[in-house]
Amino acid sequence: MTPALALDAIDKSFDGFRALDQARFVANAGEIHALLGENGAGKSTLMNVACGLYTPDSGTMRLFGAPTRLSGPRDAAAHGIGMVHQHFKLVRPFSILENVLLSRPPAAGDGAPYSRQARSVAQAIAAKAELLGAKVDPRARVDSLSIAEQQRVEVIKALVAGARILILDEPTAVLTDQEAERLLQTLRRLARDGATIVLVTHKLADVKRFADTVTIMRGGKTVAELDPSQASIEELTRLTVGDALPALPNEQPHFGRRRLEALDLTVRRADGAPAVDRVSFFVRAGEIYGLAGVSGNGQSELAELLMGVRTPDSGLIQFEDSGEAFSAPRPAALRSDGAAFIPADRYRFALAGALSVTDNFAIAGLRRGRYGGWAWTNIGRMRAETKEAIRAFDVQGVRSLAQKAALLSGGNAQKLVIAREFSDAPGVVVAQSPSRGLDARATAAVHARLKAAADRGAAVLLVSDDLDEVLKLSNRVGVMASGRLAAEFEQPFDRQEVGRAMVTHG
Amino acid sequence: MAEASSPGAPPAGASRGFGRLTIEVRRSVSPQLRIGALAGAIAIGLTISAIALVLAGVPASDLAQEFIVATLFDPTNLKAVFVQAAPLVLVGLSAAMAFRVRFWNLGIEGQMIFGGVGATAVSLAHAGPDSTRLVAMFVAAMLAGAAWAAIPAALKLLMNVNEIISTLLLNYVASDILLHLLYGVWKDQDGFPHSLKYSASELIPDILPGANGGLVIAAAAAALLVVVTARSRAGVYMRFVSASPSVAEALGVPVRPLVFSTVLLSGALAAVAGFVVASSQEGRLTQSFYQGYGVSGVLIGFLARNNPFAAAIVGVLMATLVIAGQNLQVFYGIPQSMVQLIQAVIVMCVAASDFLTVHRLHWAR
Amino acid sequence: MLQFLVTWLATTPSLAVPYALGAVGLILSERAGVLNLTAEGLMLIGAVSAAGAVLSFHAPPLLGMAVGMAAAAFVSLLFAALVITFRANQVIAGLVTVFFCQGLSSLLGAQFGWTSKAFSGLGPVPFGPLATIPVLGPIVFGQDLVAYLVVPILFVVSVVLGRTRAGLNLRAVGENPEAADAAGVSVPITRFLAVIAGSALIGLAGAYISVASVKIWIDDMTAGRGWIAVALVIFARWNPWRALFGAVLFGAIQAIIPKLAAAGVMLPQYLVLTTPYLATLAVMIWVSIARRHAPGDEPGALGRPYVREERV
Repeated sequence: MTPALALDAIDKSFDGFRALDQARFVANAGEIHALLGENGAGKSTLMNVACGLYTPDSGTMRLFGAPTRLSGPRDAAAHGIGMVHQHFKLVRPFSILENVLLSRPPAAGDGAPYSRQARSVAQAIAAKAELLGAKVDPRARVDSLSIAEQQRVEVIKALVAGARILILDEPTAVLTDQEAERLLQTLRRLARDGATIVLVTHKLADVKRFADTVTIMRGGKTVAELDPSQASIEELTRLTVGDALPALPNEQPHFGRRRLEALDLTVRRADGAPAVDRVSFFVRAGEIYGLAGVSGNGQSELAELLMGVRTPDSGLIQFEDSGEAFSAPRPAALRSDGAAFIPADRYRFALAGALSVTDNFAIAGLRRGRYGGWAWTNIGRMRAETKEAIRAFDVQGVRSLAQKAALLSGGNAQKLVIAREFSDAPGVVVAQSPSRGLDARATAAVHARLKAAADRGAAVLLVSDDLDEVLKLSNRVGVMASGRLAAEFEQPFDRQEVGRAMVTHG
Repeated sequence: MAEASSPGAPPAGASRGFGRLTIEVRRSVSPQLRIGALAGAIAIGLTISAIALVLAGVPASDLAQEFIVATLFDPTNLKAVFVQAAPLVLVGLSAAMAFRVRFWNLGIEGQMIFGGVGATAVSLAHAGPDSTRLVAMFVAAMLAGAAWAAIPAALKLLMNVNEIISTLLLNYVASDILLHLLYGVWKDQDGFPHSLKYSASELIPDILPGANGGLVIAAAAAALLVVVTARSRAGVYMRFVSASPSVAEALGVPVRPLVFSTVLLSGALAAVAGFVVASSQEGRLTQSFYQGYGVSGVLIGFLARNNPFAAAIVGVLMATLVIAGQNLQVFYGIPQSMVQLIQAVIVMCVAASDFLTVHRLHWAR
Repeated sequence: MLQFLVTWLATTPSLAVPYALGAVGLILSERAGVLNLTAEGLMLIGAVSAAGAVLSFHAPPLLGMAVGMAAAAFVSLLFAALVITFRANQVIAGLVTVFFCQGLSSLLGAQFGWTSKAFSGLGPVPFGPLATIPVLGPIVFGQDLVAYLVVPILFVVSVVLGRTRAGLNLRAVGENPEAADAAGVSVPITRFLAVIAGSALIGLAGAYISVASVKIWIDDMTAGRGWIAVALVIFARWNPWRALFGAVLFGAIQAIIPKLAAAGVMLPQYLVLTTPYLATLAVMIWVSIARRHAPGDEPGALGRPYVREERV
């Protein structure tokens, strides 16, 4: 059989960084083909080549046997390739109809009046929605839809544009287990109808459950293509990650007094609906308290409240050490009380990418007056301590202390954040999706640091969309759903039960 | 694979199809490349300007003569350059400081006006003994300029009113207030719309022959700000606000007090420029003493990349250009607006050259 | 009192036209994501070239205004290239363009001897006896052609923006250029066209000031009206009809000042001139207080240069 999509010997570099190195990928019509790899393995880059967004430096592409050169995304769409990106390419203030119309490739009837085009697109949307077994209102604004619904719009958009090859980049990352199940059933149905489905993922479970074939990438290279039903999880892990990683020691911790307490925290969205709704919990010394939830259920807002970068409409944050209770906390005040923050959006809340590694590390000590008064700072001491911290926290890739923080890889940037935040033995740590975007090694290092902080007696709050991360690290788990703290769980955790709590209130 | 985001070096690029020019963001930019691109851009800007001047009737052979020899090697002109440089350096510093905290202070002219008004009020009131009069005028100018700058700063911080528009609008208001004074209570006895001439003790003296005290003030301000930005805690805080206000806030930097006080400083610097023009060039408050300095300040701040040391140098270069332009006007009848065009063309070239330093172009097969 | 109201309302439209056209021109560019501060400069280019066409080439006033539109659109290419092709900072590029246009318009006026020469310009549409109807006549039938064209122009702009593929593409580029690009819309070309079309309208606004309102060219004659148009766009939340409302409001404020003086109200002459600026400031403050908690209507990608996302 001629493969539907065949990419061979693809090279792609970005300013000297080799993202793809002779990468190869072959998918057939009628199959769900998983493309598995870690963050940074080159999966998305390869698929961006396939959908016409990137121009490869070299290599060939064949569609149903015919050599093809794509001039851009619209050309790819004309060749029947549709891609659902991890960050949806939807215009949020537009209606579904407008979004689909926008991306429809040139076709007969383009000269028709706008209203007639709109009508024919509305019909096409209805037809494709039925194919997916869903109902959609084409007039609904995209920013009023849930994440799963937005994803469905992306799929419909691709189908209306005539996609026979559908590439989905990490589609299950933002969905609940149930939603993911439903999406994968839908994809199965499309594949049966003859479509080629490419599922880009880093989740082994998705691969095992749904893929007919899997291609594994590591470090920009294609390392294997196999039938997932014939391979063990261990084998897949080894191919994806490389060598096995040491497991974290699991000691029985002792908890002290409550160091951080949230009381009835509430914050509203712009439209008045509560994003966080009367949430109360506490974290004790030596404890890691995990907050889980499907993304968009208020956890990120809650994390931002606790880091002081968002002001609650009501409620209190209490620090037991200082006895202070904050109704409108600012980061400066929380930090003065011994809090440390590891935010998810690193370049929005933690690192100034344009500034040097030294500035980014030393700012914490500078605020505390460690490097001198207002008029004169001791730059020599700043540099020396930064150098020491970089070594102690194993931050790689620092060629000079004056190097911009933006040039660090994700994992090393996160290590720099942790080095700074832990430089003053914090009593309270708030970490939000601390391993997002990191490879396995850096993730392990970050987890070990959080454990160590808790063992030293800090109260650690871990807010994460990654349920596995929460269950692995936490001593207690709270579940957020629709802005409420829906349930709390003690060890040992039952993954099924926690997962159910995440969706029952939605 | 999408590695969160990295605004310091924004991910970027544009490429279409095989065999086309593709654009990539450089991971780091070397100082050599930066300086080379800047020099190239200025050279292109000057070339365009020279062509325009030749077209306007200046003999090509005289250009170098007029620009360099006549301006910098003639004592009278050199003195004029120094006199002109003082306010230009000060407005350049004013813009640079405000931009450092991401505040688009386009109200430099209004703040200059209030500087002039503050100083003149002290002069007209004969406040204090003659010996301290100049100092009193200097302080009054700074206070008045800072107060005028406090309006847009407060509007922005308290009510999120866009400062680009508020500062510009307040310039027009300030100029009408100036006219109100000069055509009203402050009108000179000779009937012209300017204030009474300052007395001798109210004029900024020459420190050395050929070097006006105004230039000393500007140099001192530049030196002080070099230290503040490079070595003080406030300087580090400003760097963070400049790089990312949200990061600065999350790290506990007192963003709002810092922005507010820096804008007041910017207003005070502009006001000192107004005081220097009034007291060392005009000798009184006139209707138009401030005109043209606002945009010049912004452009100097931009060309200097908000760096006070560079602002001092660019300010002197800009003054040279202005004096050369005046000579061209006298000898060849080239209108003053031509100098404005030359400045604009040079800045445009530099703004465009940034693209080449931040990106790398290469041909993909 | 009636007489006062009639002359006030009759002079309002001609003062409102430049604001309305300028603001709508800016809206076109900003809805495509290009933060545009060039209005003050491009208006001057429109004003000087329209006056020049009328003075030097005896062009009929409407043709002269068309020349003004074309000239402003042409000069805006410089700004567009800076911010779209070279991805320069949009604030700096806008300011330097204004500075450039101030110099260029002054230079052209001086070189060709257009400065301070009065000409007959564009007069009111001859409605004959209709114009002599009491009250209604001077207000409704006493305006020039361009004043009557403002509403149709706004109508066309809002239909194009809201109900055509071109408008859909333009708005998509301004809201989410990544999505527009992925959908195959060329972000740079769309933005270029939006800036050029918007600048033509801004040029018309300037040409209107020199050819229809004042009937003379003087250096810097726009006197901040371009900046007020920029403020108006924020007030109008990027909607052409709200911009028209704001333009009429500002026109009325500006029209009342000389009428008050003529009616014998004693006011400090120069302080009264600050009214339009202070009124604009007041409106900006009011907008930011009234809409403090409302969702923003600002185009999502306003002021952000677009670069196709390639990893660093």
